[in-house]
Amino acid sequence: MSRAKRIMKEMQAIQDDPEAHITLEFVSESDIHHLKGSFLGPPGTPYEHGTFVVDIEVPMEYPFKPPKMKFDTKVYHPNISSVTGAICLDILKNAWSPVITLKSALISLQALLQSPEPSDPQDAEVAQHYLKDRESFNKTAALWTQLYAGGNNDGNNDGINANNADEADLYGISQELVQEFESQGFQKDRIIEVLRRLGIKSLDPNDNDSINRVIEELLN
Amino acid sequence: MTQMKLPATTISRNFIDNPNYEKEHSETNDSPNTSTFTLTDDIPNHRDSLINQDSEFEIEDFMYSDDDFEYDDDYNQTYDSMLTKPVKRSSKKELSEGAVPNLSYEILTTQDIFENMLARVDHLQPIFNMPREDILLLMQHYDWNEERLLENWTERMEELLVEIGVSQADVRPTDINVVKDTDEINTSETKIERGITYKEGFNCVICCEEKDTQTFSLECGHEYCIDCYRHYIEDKLHSGNVITCMDCTLALKNIDIDSIMGHNSSKKLMTSSIKSFVQKHNKNYRWCPYADCKCIIHLSDTSSLAEYTRLHYSPFVQCDTDHRFCFNCGFETHAPADCNVTNAWVKKAKKESDNLNWVMSHTKECPKCEVNIEKDGGCNHMKCSSCKYEFCWICEGDWAPHGKAFYQCTLYKNDENSKKTQNDELSKTMKKYTFYYRVFNEHEISAKLDWKLGQTIGSKVRALQEKMDVSWIEGQFLTDSIKILNEGRTALKWSFPVAFYSDASHNLTKIFVDNQSLLSKAVEDLSELLQIKEPEEIMKKRLEFYNKSGYVENRMYALMECGRDLLCKGICKPTDQIFK
Repeated sequence: MSRAKRIMKEMQAIQDDPEAHITLEFVSESDIHHLKGSFLGPPGTPYEHGTFVVDIEVPMEYPFKPPKMKFDTKVYHPNISSVTGAICLDILKNAWSPVITLKSALISLQALLQSPEPSDPQDAEVAQHYLKDRESFNKTAALWTQLYAGGNNDGNNDGINANNADEADLYGISQELVQEFESQGFQKDRIIEVLRRLGIKSLDPNDNDSINRVIEELLN
Repeated sequence: MTQMKLPATTISRNFIDNPNYEKEHSETNDSPNTSTFTLTDDIPNHRDSLINQDSEFEIEDFMYSDDDFEYDDDYNQTYDSMLTKPVKRSSKKELSEGAVPNLSYEILTTQDIFENMLARVDHLQPIFNMPREDILLLMQHYDWNEERLLENWTERMEELLVEIGVSQADVRPTDINVVKDTDEINTSETKIERGITYKEGFNCVICCEEKDTQTFSLECGHEYCIDCYRHYIEDKLHSGNVITCMDCTLALKNIDIDSIMGHNSSKKLMTSSIKSFVQKHNKNYRWCPYADCKCIIHLSDTSSLAEYTRLHYSPFVQCDTDHRFCFNCGFETHAPADCNVTNAWVKKAKKESDNLNWVMSHTKECPKCEVNIEKDGGCNHMKCSSCKYEFCWICEGDWAPHGKAFYQCTLYKNDENSKKTQNDELSKTMKKYTFYYRVFNEHEISAKLDWKLGQTIGSKVRALQEKMDVSWIEGQFLTDSIKILNEGRTALKWSFPVAFYSDASHNLTKIFVDNQSLLSKAVEDLSELLQIKEPEEIMKKRLEFYNKSGYVENRMYALMECGRDLLCKGICKPTDQIFK
């Protein structure tokens, strides 16, 4: 029974501190073990102005076992799966301690957005992008924030939404590169798929080795 | 670096083998001020009592070799030899003289290793000059790697103490000894007392309950109710890692764990810590692969292993409960096959089991009257209880031709009637494999039944003693026979993978197959002999037992040598190519 009591107390603590801009609510009234939490993207990062929703499942053994958390909002981040929203964070695994609360765990996620750990990635493709070309990574991450986390400055929508966003932009792949291969008669979807797999975002036109590798993959 | 010599402790018997051990152990621990892992001085006495109990076994079972008890200067060697106890065994039987160095190893349990660790802690005590409990924490944190610990210790002692949770970050080094020593806690006003207290109306932040309860806290003052602490520790006991306060890095010592969880709980933690130590040093340590066996084989000198592999020998070891297995691959003894053949064979069997129904049933229909017959002994000479037809279990043919000359059943015959088209090649290799797998399996089942037969040997020997007035020693020929039967059966079983992977057209393969037939015949004969139940009959045939088991032994070594020859000459090559 201590678990229910503790969850209620944690809810109260979050409501008592509106300054933190963290929310926590039950998915349904009948199940106190399934919650949704949200927090704001940390300022000064590509995630600024975004609101990130996290799915929280509280296990039977809580607080002695960590809650299961994953992002509902799509996030472009080395330690978060761009597909499933799975999170790679030690405190949610073996470094969990019963003194950590849902609130402090959400704050830790906020901190994770602030300082990624590309050496211990959840999403290798994204991590590679982060390490290779930080500027391009930041652009893509900001685009994702805008598209999926509703992170628009002053609510102004500058015309892009998830439906009409270019797939190449979504993965930070240079438009010129895609067009280059398209002009050779390859399908756009296929080009993006291959470039993503090879972790190539842009190419030097003289880098024949890489170009050949892409073409080889495209022909496979 | 300081080199230390440990006194040659004389515990050698596997503790779990001693039925009184657990009892004695718990009795010791029930007394109020003693706990096995609190490093009190009663441990040496405790040990002595164990030794006395077991001394009979030691003399019989083990070869003492105190002379071997030397320490090498080499870093790794030193580290390993710290653990060395004067119990050594050599596997020598299956090796021809002088071909490869003898494998000398020792048989340990987690308890043995832990006792050694305790001894090492005792030796470190004068260097560290701190309570043993704390040294134990340091050792545990360093995966029992003393060398690395000492190195780091001299370099950054204070940092280390904080890092490992022996002391708090804000404690000055001069205070360390005072703070750590749990036996005489310094209750100065500034220090929070470590341990359990009783509080009324305590509000625990973990469970959010307000109640009158016992609480626990370390010097850090992070105080939680005892129920939450118990829950917390219970989860961590199996991790083997040092358990810290829930809110900071200050470590719980074994004495704290025992006071919260009750006596002996820290033992679980120590055991899991030792287990992870064994896992991490899998080059030198290996768990006995048999189910529920708690033995650990420790091989301090692994340099000879490469030589074994080169000569296609396998480093077979035997644990305290007489389980024999290969130190290299962890499988049961698999001579004449080497580890490569064994691996290839086992992998193949796993892969192919989806395609074919490999699982052989224990019953077969009598080829004559179609009554279902269950095989209840190891012998392949079957006699239908209904129509009295005698047949061979493996080929289901008449037994009469099997009894003499060659035992044809181990021969794979190419089906001459089959069409020799390209397409047939695949089904032929498939068929070949099916055949070999079937005989392999049959022998495995036979081996299990033989093993069951072996369980009844004790009563047979007793019957001999009672009815025939035969002394126990004299009756041992039965025990020896069953042992040889088992070994022969295993060797025979593993000779089929070798035959399968060998080039069938080569002369040596033919010799190998002939050797197989000879061993097969010898094993079946011995197995049949061991089915005899009447004590009078057994005594009458005593000489036959000696002869037949001696013969099996000779045939077995001949087959092993022949198989090794095939491997060394590259005639037997375990590849998956045979079977695309």
